[in-house]
Amino acid sequence: MAFDIPKIDYSGKIREITLGSGDKAVKVGGASCFPFYLFEGKMPNLPKISMEVWDYQPDDWAEAAVEPFKDVIGDPVAWAKKCVNEYGAELITLQLKSIDPNGLNRSAKEAAEIAVKVIDAVSVPVILWGVANHEKDTEVLRLIAEKCEGKRLSLGPVEEGDYKQIGAGAIAYKHLVIASSPIDINLAKQLNILLGNLGVGEGQILVDPTTGALGYGLEYTYSVMERDRMAALTQEDEKLQYPIICNVGVETWKIKESKLKEQEDPKLGDAKKRGIMIECVTAMSLLMAGADILIMRHPESITLIKKMIKDLSSPE
Amino acid sequence: MAKFVRIGENLNVMSKILGPAMKERNAGPIQDMAKKETEKGVDFVDLNIGPARKDGAAMMEWVVNTVQAVTNLPLALDTTNLDAMEAGLKVAKNSPLINSVTLQSDRFEAGLKLAAKYKASVVAVLWSDTGMPRDANERAMHIVEFVQKASELGIPNEKIFIDPIVSPISVEINQVKACVECMGMLQDIAPGCKSTVGLSNISNGAPEELRPWLNITYLIMLIKNGLYSAIVDSFDDRLKSFVTGERQNIVNLVNKMLDGEKVDMNSLNDEEKKFAKSVKVLTGETLFSNSWLES
Repeated sequence: MAFDIPKIDYSGKIREITLGSGDKAVKVGGASCFPFYLFEGKMPNLPKISMEVWDYQPDDWAEAAVEPFKDVIGDPVAWAKKCVNEYGAELITLQLKSIDPNGLNRSAKEAAEIAVKVIDAVSVPVILWGVANHEKDTEVLRLIAEKCEGKRLSLGPVEEGDYKQIGAGAIAYKHLVIASSPIDINLAKQLNILLGNLGVGEGQILVDPTTGALGYGLEYTYSVMERDRMAALTQEDEKLQYPIICNVGVETWKIKESKLKEQEDPKLGDAKKRGIMIECVTAMSLLMAGADILIMRHPESITLIKKMIKDLSSPE
Repeated sequence: MAKFVRIGENLNVMSKILGPAMKERNAGPIQDMAKKETEKGVDFVDLNIGPARKDGAAMMEWVVNTVQAVTNLPLALDTTNLDAMEAGLKVAKNSPLINSVTLQSDRFEAGLKLAAKYKASVVAVLWSDTGMPRDANERAMHIVEFVQKASELGIPNEKIFIDPIVSPISVEINQVKACVECMGMLQDIAPGCKSTVGLSNISNGAPEELRPWLNITYLIMLIKNGLYSAIVDSFDDRLKSFVTGERQNIVNLVNKMLDGEKVDMNSLNDEEKKFAKSVKVLTGETLFSNSWLES
């Protein structure tokens, strides 16, 4: 008797979502199987990596992370261009760190001006990531949304406390929202339902489960993502069939183990290799759990993860 | 169907009226509540005096005597203070229920000894030194341990009310499923044991006005798996109607779904749909969210 390899019966599919507009628009999602289970289904769009750019010069980055960008790190426009032209970035994430009321507290007008310059300077789709302060994010993201009508920018993080305001901006000016919930599958679903009720279209939602770095809650994040993909693909849960985006670089490069210099703790080994590996292990784990977009920092990490994606998706 | 036993939860120190009345030994409000609960047809009156660190023994003795003066119902003595428990057991006339004893090593044996000494029934909360059991198997393990120890002390299974611990659906669906699964295993593991649950914990965290849908559905699911009693609001007439055979259409619908029969949602009326959706989230067939009744 012939042996049949047991296969999972998939009844659902992840929605295909387009970021950006024009010929550099990027499609994500569309999978009809668990991540890289290509013997069971299809992943028409492989996971994408978005390179992160900060909207002001970061002062607390690890040396290894600054090094590739040291010529552009004070200029978000040049920085974004370098990511696209030199490193071949298909997506850019502008981290709107300057608007933090507990930090630089840049005004919405000023922050939006910088963001618009970055958006205009690159042809690839742009993701805008605020500081999870509901009032400030709403103010800044709505202004940018208005100035860039129809560009299908991705606006996040959108939480239960500000989904109405930012969601309305996304509807009016035709952008996407990044629905963000605090590592909780039930709350993730609830926010998607609320956005749907508000009138945000099915093609306008990305899901951020909240990313924990290696050693800092990674297990919680990927467990929630696995549950999410299982419900979406095997339980036909329409409210969860959205692509997942993970803000990896910010999380992995802020932890102590990524920042410590080698001489501060020699047993931790080479600081650059260490920081890159922490970013890669985190990114790889999240890919296996179902991430569709990874926001990453170090060009060498990105090269490595791209190769992994290619290897995992090649026929042999 | 055997009669479902309701343990009325309303005589509680947390109440803004009854708490002070217990402390001031003001019998009026307490007897009033006991009478009203009795009129509502509950089978036990739970007397929750809380941890009662100070004055616990005297308070429990007084509350028991005060309540016994107006009702003949058996009492559930609800405190973590074992001295207070014993003081209540000494004066309780009508085969009382100790609520509760856990498997935590510092109180497990002492609690069981009280049950043996006063020939009382006892609620066995399956909570051990390692906290909450992780699945149905750990629950089963705790049941075996509890029943064995009780048996050594001469407490028959019929006097044990196993509480498999209901936890909120918004926290972890696998625990919701494990609790039901454990209930279904109980008579095989410990024949003759009774059971009880703190039902409303299932809907902790859900929108207040929607909580009854989860509570009632979960109750029907647990009863199908053999649940003997629950600690409930004595004045919840709607909930009561589901355990007295008045709402058999809904009970049948839930049972049918649990038996794996396909139910055509379009054939159901609005109320039935809500119960059907609640079954789906409580069995893990669909993922719970606060809008589970809408989507």
